[in-house]
Amino acid sequence: MVFTRNVFVKPASVLKLFLIIFATFVLNTASATTADDVKIFSTNDDTEIEVRIFKGDGDQLLLGFACDQGSSMAEEKTAHELAMDGVEVWMPDMLSAYMLPKLRSSLADIPTDGLLKIIEEAQKTGKRVYLIASGPDTELILRVAAEWEQLHAGDDKKKLAGAILMFPRLNKDKPEPGKPPIYQDAVGKTHLPIMVLEGERTPNRWGIGHLTNALKKGGSTVYAKLIPDVRGYFFKRDDPNIPENVVTSQLPGLIKASLFFLGRAH
Amino acid sequence: MKSYRQAFIHFLLFSLLTFGGASFTVLNAAELKKVEADVATPELKLESLDGKTIDLKDFQGSVVLVQFWATYCTPCRKEMPSMNNLMKKLAESKTPFKILAVNMGETKEEVQKFVDEVKPEFTILMDSKGEHVQAWNVFAAPSNFVIDGKGKIRYTLFGGVDWDSDDIVNTIKQLAADTAADVKQAADGDTDAKDAMEAKTDKTDKDSPEK
Repeated sequence: MVFTRNVFVKPASVLKLFLIIFATFVLNTASATTADDVKIFSTNDDTEIEVRIFKGDGDQLLLGFACDQGSSMAEEKTAHELAMDGVEVWMPDMLSAYMLPKLRSSLADIPTDGLLKIIEEAQKTGKRVYLIASGPDTELILRVAAEWEQLHAGDDKKKLAGAILMFPRLNKDKPEPGKPPIYQDAVGKTHLPIMVLEGERTPNRWGIGHLTNALKKGGSTVYAKLIPDVRGYFFKRDDPNIPENVVTSQLPGLIKASLFFLGRAH
Repeated sequence: MKSYRQAFIHFLLFSLLTFGGASFTVLNAAELKKVEADVATPELKLESLDGKTIDLKDFQGSVVLVQFWATYCTPCRKEMPSMNNLMKKLAESKTPFKILAVNMGETKEEVQKFVDEVKPEFTILMDSKGEHVQAWNVFAAPSNFVIDGKGKIRYTLFGGVDWDSDDIVNTIKQLAADTAADVKQAADGDTDAKDAMEAKTDKTDKDSPEK
């Protein structure tokens, strides 16, 4: 009881503490977007998905960067620079649309219909649509791409142009030493041209060949590039080192180069 | 007033469990997994950080922990002091044991800097081209293989762990004891067979018509 007396705080102070925490949270999450436009698309079941649009005047449209307001500043900056360079970028906020927490386990709960609807809208622009995602989010775009291809088999006008998987984390379970990885079901189901970008300073670099082969099983042309001196999630890190800061600042160029490679696959 | 006090304590406990828990769950989340199948142990012959050629085959009779690690792997850094402790504990009980920590494709400079900082007291091997990483089917770090005295992979473990825990120390002691018993049994078997062979030879010699 002595302990509880020592740490006892007046109810008013507790309330103040909660208010400070709440205010900090709100300030952190409500940072304004730098997008040119924000569109809301509704799915058949009336789910509303907010899409930040960075307009580009070229013929390429990049859809992805699974994101949430406030913690995707590097992505927004990259999107802005890509748009300036002609590549239009659409950033849908899938987690908020389905009211899911920002957890890896949430990704499997994201239905594909929302993204299918957004792809449809993106194709109405007449631009070539590419998908992009990082880490475990890459499973979602592979799943969506496979479903899109099934829905529009044989329709060349509906073809997606390719996908960029940045440091994909597609293992089904925890890695087991001595055994090759078992991937998520979405791996090897699409024939979309794919570019895999992986950090050199991550153990996953050793699995890049294995993953590439698994992705090819769907008929995809797969390119894989190692980015020197960076770790996985390099543009999302709280502790970036100098090479990671440099590569993050060069991300638009890296993506443009990836789009060039994917364009060659057609 | 009491309910406010209780609520505040609950809030503190909740915060500690929610936000502070992460630092406690990094290690001890993984455990040794028994390898049931008869898996062939890949070759492991590499140069150590101090330039000596080390071959896993030279440690027959000892339990060997082969770990694949990297300087950028946070759990690797955290668990290495416990690996030093594991060696000390097993040395006290005279358990034949060796750690071979294989660095995954980094430079000597990077590894030396890490070693100066973390001070692992075990052998660091340099797999600069990642050939052994591939041969051992390693796709994540840290990846661990516990090998018995006869060179067979008996346990694997992925992720950071407190290597000096009683469970792991006892498992390795038991593995060493089992190996020693097997070796003794094999040696006794050899002696018995030799004796039997000699006895048979004597008998044959005696029964030989030429004699």
